[in-house]
Amino acid sequence: MSFEFLSTSEAAPARSPMEREARAAGAVFERRDGWNVAVRFEDPQAERERCRAAVGFADLSQLGKIELQGELAAFAGGGALELGTALRSDGAWWCPYTRERALVLCEAASTAGLRERLEEAAESSPGLASVIDLSSSLGALAIAGPGARETFARFTAIDLRPQVTPVGGFRPGSVARSAGAILREGEERYLMLFGAALGRYMWTVVADAAAALGGGPVGVDALDPVGQAAVHA
Amino acid sequence: MSYVLTCPNCGPREVTDFGFGGELNPRPRSTPSQRELGEYNYFRRNVAGVQREWWVHRSGCGAWFYAERDTRTNEVLLTELPEDAA
Amino acid sequence: MSRLPEREGERIDRSRTLSFSFDGNEVSAYEGDTIGSALFAAGQRTFSRSFKYHRRRGLMCCAGQCPNCLVQVDDAPGVRACTEPVREGMKVVHMNASPSLELDLMSATDVVGGPFTPPGFYYKTFIRPRRLWPLYEKVLRSAAGLGRLRKSQPEREWRTEYRRRHADVLVVGGGAAGLSAAAAAAELGADVVLADEGPEPGGRLLAEGGRERARELTERARLAGVELLENAPALGAFDGLVPVWQGDTLHQVRAARIVYATGAIEQPLLFPGNDLPGVMLSGGALRLVELYAVKPGTRAVVAAVCDRGLDAALALLDAGVEIACVADLRPGGASGPAKLLLRRNVALMRGATVLEARGRGGLQGVVLGRPDAADGEGERAIGCDLLVVSGGSAPATSLLSQSGARTGYDTERGQFALTHVPSGAFAAGEVAGAGELASAELSGAVAGAEAAHALGFGDELSHTRAEEGRRTLARDHGRPAQAAVPPPVTSRRKGKCFACLCEDVTAKDIHLSVKEGYDSIELSKRYTTTTMGPCQGRMCQLPAVRLMAQETGTTLAEVGTTTARPPWHAVPMGVLAGRPFEPAKRSSIHGRHRELGANVLWAGDWRRAYDYGDPRGEALAVHEAAGLIDVSTLGKLIVRGPDAGELLDRLYPNRFSNLKVGRVRYGVIASDAGRITDDGTICRLDDDSFYVTTTSSGAGAIYEWFTWWLADWGLDVHITDVTQGLSAVNLAGPRAREIISTLTPLDCSAEGFTYLDGKRAEVAGVPCLILRIGFVGEVGYEIHCASAHGEHLWDALLDAGAGHGLRPFGLEPQRLLRLQKMHILIGQDTDSESNPFGAAMPWIVKLDKEQDFIGRWALERYAEEPPETSLVGFRMANGHVPTEGAVVMPVDGSPMGQVTSARHSPQLGGVIGMAWVPAALAKDGQRVTISDEGKKLQAEVVTTPFYDPDGEVLRS
Repeated sequence: MSFEFLSTSEAAPARSPMEREARAAGAVFERRDGWNVAVRFEDPQAERERCRAAVGFADLSQLGKIELQGELAAFAGGGALELGTALRSDGAWWCPYTRERALVLCEAASTAGLRERLEEAAESSPGLASVIDLSSSLGALAIAGPGARETFARFTAIDLRPQVTPVGGFRPGSVARSAGAILREGEERYLMLFGAALGRYMWTVVADAAAALGGGPVGVDALDPVGQAAVHA
Repeated sequence: MSYVLTCPNCGPREVTDFGFGGELNPRPRSTPSQRELGEYNYFRRNVAGVQREWWVHRSGCGAWFYAERDTRTNEVLLTELPEDAA
Repeated sequence: MSRLPEREGERIDRSRTLSFSFDGNEVSAYEGDTIGSALFAAGQRTFSRSFKYHRRRGLMCCAGQCPNCLVQVDDAPGVRACTEPVREGMKVVHMNASPSLELDLMSATDVVGGPFTPPGFYYKTFIRPRRLWPLYEKVLRSAAGLGRLRKSQPEREWRTEYRRRHADVLVVGGGAAGLSAAAAAAELGADVVLADEGPEPGGRLLAEGGRERARELTERARLAGVELLENAPALGAFDGLVPVWQGDTLHQVRAARIVYATGAIEQPLLFPGNDLPGVMLSGGALRLVELYAVKPGTRAVVAAVCDRGLDAALALLDAGVEIACVADLRPGGASGPAKLLLRRNVALMRGATVLEARGRGGLQGVVLGRPDAADGEGERAIGCDLLVVSGGSAPATSLLSQSGARTGYDTERGQFALTHVPSGAFAAGEVAGAGELASAELSGAVAGAEAAHALGFGDELSHTRAEEGRRTLARDHGRPAQAAVPPPVTSRRKGKCFACLCEDVTAKDIHLSVKEGYDSIELSKRYTTTTMGPCQGRMCQLPAVRLMAQETGTTLAEVGTTTARPPWHAVPMGVLAGRPFEPAKRSSIHGRHRELGANVLWAGDWRRAYDYGDPRGEALAVHEAAGLIDVSTLGKLIVRGPDAGELLDRLYPNRFSNLKVGRVRYGVIASDAGRITDDGTICRLDDDSFYVTTTSSGAGAIYEWFTWWLADWGLDVHITDVTQGLSAVNLAGPRAREIISTLTPLDCSAEGFTYLDGKRAEVAGVPCLILRIGFVGEVGYEIHCASAHGEHLWDALLDAGAGHGLRPFGLEPQRLLRLQKMHILIGQDTDSESNPFGAAMPWIVKLDKEQDFIGRWALERYAEEPPETSLVGFRMANGHVPTEGAVVMPVDGSPMGQVTSARHSPQLGGVIGMAWVPAALAKDGQRVTISDEGKKLQAEVVTTPFYDPDGEVLRS
């Protein structure tokens, strides 16, 4: 129980670092799994259309983000992790940073359970293993739509061309001049991670880039579930 | 200066993704003389040519690694993690 | 009106007229016109006034290569009229002429200014008497510069954008070679971007009879999937990164291979009057005719050094321009076009060129003759309103040179040609010496294929073809087209003969610069500013080198060229600046601070609450009741593993392996030179885990410092940076205990939760880590929780404290409070020279530790030698607050130290501070003088904390 203070509790509202920006843009919030989530803006239909025709971005900071250090392969849903590629297993993304460090991304509802399971596994692991809840450390934005890649081109030098970053590609690197990472979740769907303290800045940068390409913010309900997005392709 | 370095974990990235740790400057293994300590703290070889140096992928995986770089052309000949180094 | 009847292939659409204004007068244009073509068609001949002499300048290159047609468009200065498309309603005004383009008072400098305005005149003519310099400067400043920048603009009105583009192959230049290269590479499967500076790809093909071919090649490239960027000059080559400017976008193209098909630049000739409106390069005259159906003159003289000028003469003849005479510098031979000209009864002077151009307000006539003839012999004076000049060409090698290519002087061609192209780069077309259309296309196709092959595309057939093509090119390369090399200056006549049009540098100026000792091309460049103007050497590099060779009596090969530097194309600063966003870190409670009226300032890369409007009151509240400060910016690391204690013991001069679980200890980090680099507190969470805090500004650096040594030592430890994952607030003051007790089940009594305890418990329903530490000197609880709950925790604490006099306090009151306790701020009270002994913290260095630690050897030495200077506190004799950095000296002595912090303390009723002083003065009661901005002030040294020196309050 050493590290509970790193995690959120359902007893109190958990807030995304971009909550105020989303609110100013007209977001409607719902409390889901302890988090205030921007579920939609004015018109869910228009938001879906935005993701189909241009580019939409949604605040997914509530996602569980659990860092694993040590003998990862044992945890990675049975499969060995390969650098550069995230593994989809158990409804979570297993994203390797190095051979000894990975990040597990899961739905907010599964965070606590998954963390406990991983901690148990770490304790029984023969080697050294550490499980740290980074859900509050990292902000997350989903960027989806045919204009997603062009939007990224406005603020990151990471090469997201399909021949270089296939679906499932995980790319740690600089985004908007800050440390971050991009996960390609589907054909036209990406998840960007960055330091939580940069939330407002990142929102501003992404909103500006997306607006110039006919895009804008969308609620999480406008996003297709990840598995489905891949099936569309 | 906008060359590309290949992070051993993440692959090629702009040099601005990285932090520079300087040329390899091994710490003395036992108590150094004053002269040795001064050299370790304040002197570098600063070669015009291929140099082995430390880099950290600051904006990415955060790992420290070695690079061999030609200081005249910024051509990076090799990057490797310390645990993989011979 | 100079508009010709409709021509096949013209770029204008006569069915669509547009209108814009020039200096307030309405000008009509066709869709497809440039500002330059429309103005010229409307009869405008003077487009700008020159930089220094305010001479009239007119269209010359019509390709964005020269500085002659720079105008101001709406609020943007320095726009090239000859390439900028007309937009309906745009407001175009001239630059650098007052009161008007036609009547420019500053043009007096052209008449009287010569002797007074040599290169570097502002250091010569205007240097005496010295006291008048401020006046001179004012006058010179208002005379300098070209357009006008608007001082401010509404946000977002003019947006600029970076766009990253990764590609397999980038092709720079969209002429015959570039288009072929792009198509060839893309057809083999490569992802190709082509950047062309013209409004339509095709390059010279467009105006020189290859329009259809240009369209075919463009179509082929498009079909193959090439991304074509039009109106998009490449600005430079930076280790393989090529910025390409297109409108309001800067494409940052990073390609695995780059094909440079940058062409060659037609060169002017140097003769008196070579800048008169009406003197045009042959390419410029042709572009006016072929692209915009504008007649460049009625009666023309042509001066050529090769067939290019002769071809132009034929084309102009076809367009209805009278050709009065063609001067061909080549002494003999009868090329195809020469025969055609003779057949059409055009007078042809062989071995001759322009000796002088005459005219007031524009070209009225020229004198032709042999450049080496004695005065008057064989000369012909001819009236004309157009002089078409074709002085040979200079390969546009600048971008290639920036990417590592080398050039050398090719005597046969009379130009600097490529001698080495670095790996990863390819040269194609005219820049590589392939001047003829067929060989330009072939060289492009070969380069494009080779670039694709280098990346693993292609098959056996494509390889065979490329090899064959390479052989054909090598054969052709041995047969350069016949061209004469013009002398540096074509005449010995009087009059200004411009080597550099951008900066108004004459041949005489270069002569003078050599006489004054600037006898290398790089020195002369800096002294005269030749090649440093908007044309970036396109029009002046080769002439300047020729002049330099003549003046110094050396060869062109010996003179060499100046180093090619970016930008290759003049570009607005705003485009380089990109979007106006600065990465700013904000605490999760930041929004609340704003709502509470905080003054927010930058602190490192964070935005922080400096105060809430009443820093003194906020500080007093901490002493009298309680205060709450957001300290989420602290660096926070989890250090975990069996060797965690060992790692900390090696990184800190004091000991942590013996720290008890649930206890907190202060630590200072030193470098191996024994200098203080950071400080913070460490709490042991369990046997294998420590929670380490660092300074706010040191967070990133300390994380890297830890991981760096870990990478070197390979200990069994994991480090995680949780700086942004945790909010931290410090609740401090005599009533802090009461307040926190209302929110937590934890026993917070003085006995239950003692000073330097670290406990985990829920506060306001949120799991927290609470450290009892006292940076500000009162009983304090530093509460850390997941940043997603930061705002909730802050609100709950403020609510709970509402009845207890709790106030939020900012960074400024915290600085005062910690100063009262003499708690140092790293980087404020210390610098890169400070060691723990000098900083009065000898107790932090545990030299009795058995193992080695970073800084040990240097600190052992410091321990043996008493420090020369010491960090002490001081109390001012009066109420003056010295500035940080004020000088400290012994009473009536010489400067020996400096003030690092000083504040007025309402709690202590006086001014206190910290300063470095000679060690001998570091004793209580010692009187020192502080010299602050001329004032000498008395102060007294204090070596124990000003407030609660024994820490009784803190520990209570």
